[in-house]
Amino acid sequence: MDEHLLDDLALNNGLKEVDSRLKLLLGLGAILICVFSPSPVTPLIIAASMALIIVGLAEIPPQEYARLLLIPVAFAVTSCIVILFLSGGGEPLYTVSVLGFTLTATTASANLSLLLMARTFGAMSALFFIALSTPMIQVFSVMKDLRLPQEFIDLSMLIYRFIFIFIGEAIAIHNAQVMRNGYAGFRKSVDALSMLCGSLFIRAWGRGEEMLIAMDARCYDGKFETGTEEHPVSLLSLAAVGSYLAGCSILSLLFSGAVLFP
Amino acid sequence: MEGFLPSPWWQFWWLVSLPFLALGLYQLRKIVRERREALPLLAVAGAFVFVLSSLKLPSVTGSCSHPTGTGLSAVLFGGFVTSVLALIVLIYQALLLAHGGITTMGANVFSMGVAGPLVAWILYRAGKQVNLNTFVNIFIAAFIADLFTYVVTSFQLALAFPAAEGGLLSSFAAFMAIFALTQVPLAIVEGVIVALTFKYIIDVRPDILVKLDVLTQNTLNRLKEAAA
Repeated sequence: MDEHLLDDLALNNGLKEVDSRLKLLLGLGAILICVFSPSPVTPLIIAASMALIIVGLAEIPPQEYARLLLIPVAFAVTSCIVILFLSGGGEPLYTVSVLGFTLTATTASANLSLLLMARTFGAMSALFFIALSTPMIQVFSVMKDLRLPQEFIDLSMLIYRFIFIFIGEAIAIHNAQVMRNGYAGFRKSVDALSMLCGSLFIRAWGRGEEMLIAMDARCYDGKFETGTEEHPVSLLSLAAVGSYLAGCSILSLLFSGAVLFP
Repeated sequence: MEGFLPSPWWQFWWLVSLPFLALGLYQLRKIVRERREALPLLAVAGAFVFVLSSLKLPSVTGSCSHPTGTGLSAVLFGGFVTSVLALIVLIYQALLLAHGGITTMGANVFSMGVAGPLVAWILYRAGKQVNLNTFVNIFIAAFIADLFTYVVTSFQLALAFPAAEGGLLSSFAAFMAIFALTQVPLAIVEGVIVALTFKYIIDVRPDILVKLDVLTQNTLNRLKEAAA
């Protein structure tokens, strides 16, 4: 189980005082530029600049960020190998025979798979920027500004609260099972894991009922009110975000013809 | 993964998912208005799906993958509310674990939150009608929810990246072949685990299931007799 939630890092990041709407604008804008970029150059520039912003401004330890980046890189490489041999067009580059199937990589499929890898890498870096610079609590206040349904926001907040409790309980149960050889062998693992899920659900449900009593005792009327900290948007940071996004868009237009095999 | 699905497909899947999410939100609002106590319990279920989908299942090949966890929620709360829970879970997976992404979320909501759970829910209700053994029924619902999620994912990928020769169908077959290798054993394991999870819930807190109208008191009595 992944015990490292990105929120832990986000709560202490260097940009936590910056207005959350601005950070989401920067991250989402960069993601959109990556997805629409016709050439692999701009997404790679975005990936590099996001790495600088995350390590430099948000003060996330570089080795921590490098470790996080390994996950999307591994996924992107495997998926792009599939695309490389699946799609076609252009001159054949390389042919390999697997189990009687002839797989061919062509110039066009190499272009497509490089573009996809770059897009995924750039957009994931921008997603990491959002995840590492904006604590979840700030995302809720943006949801409220966007006038999303109250029930949806309340449900999200409650789920957020319960996630941490359950992860703690799941780890405790898991440790107890490991100490009793619960995961020695496949059959035992399946049994142990179902026991974990079952007892987690039962405990979780109990927590929910207890919470209901607690909320009733505090006159819960179907609404959660949360205080939000407002950080004024400084003109300088607004201008910085604006010029970054504009710069990336212009780069994307400039490099629109740049591909590996023309 | 963020950025993997090119336009116009990511916008398309967002548009396809929106009506289901709207319906889910409408149902959620109705449930919360009628029964105030539902909200914390739904939250518990959502958090449970999140924790379940960040668990790693034991798999035959030794590699690890993630269960979808939505089959359980579909059986408990129905298909549409599960879509909303799946959306929230996917937001948290993106922002807390950097799994998935925001542009690809539309496609993921459709495969994991709409297609899989709806099929599971329909199958479970149908199985109940014909008096199928409860555990077999739950196994089938969870197994199909997981499997169907990946069938839809392969279809989404094939639409976005049709093969040069043979087009959509041959690309669909290729993605299916890749997922089938890893996902069929996993779906079986998830089905078994969800069915056994229900067994533990029936042993300890059967009242929850009766309250949610998942099982009737009669079925419960019969199960208890069979176990005794």
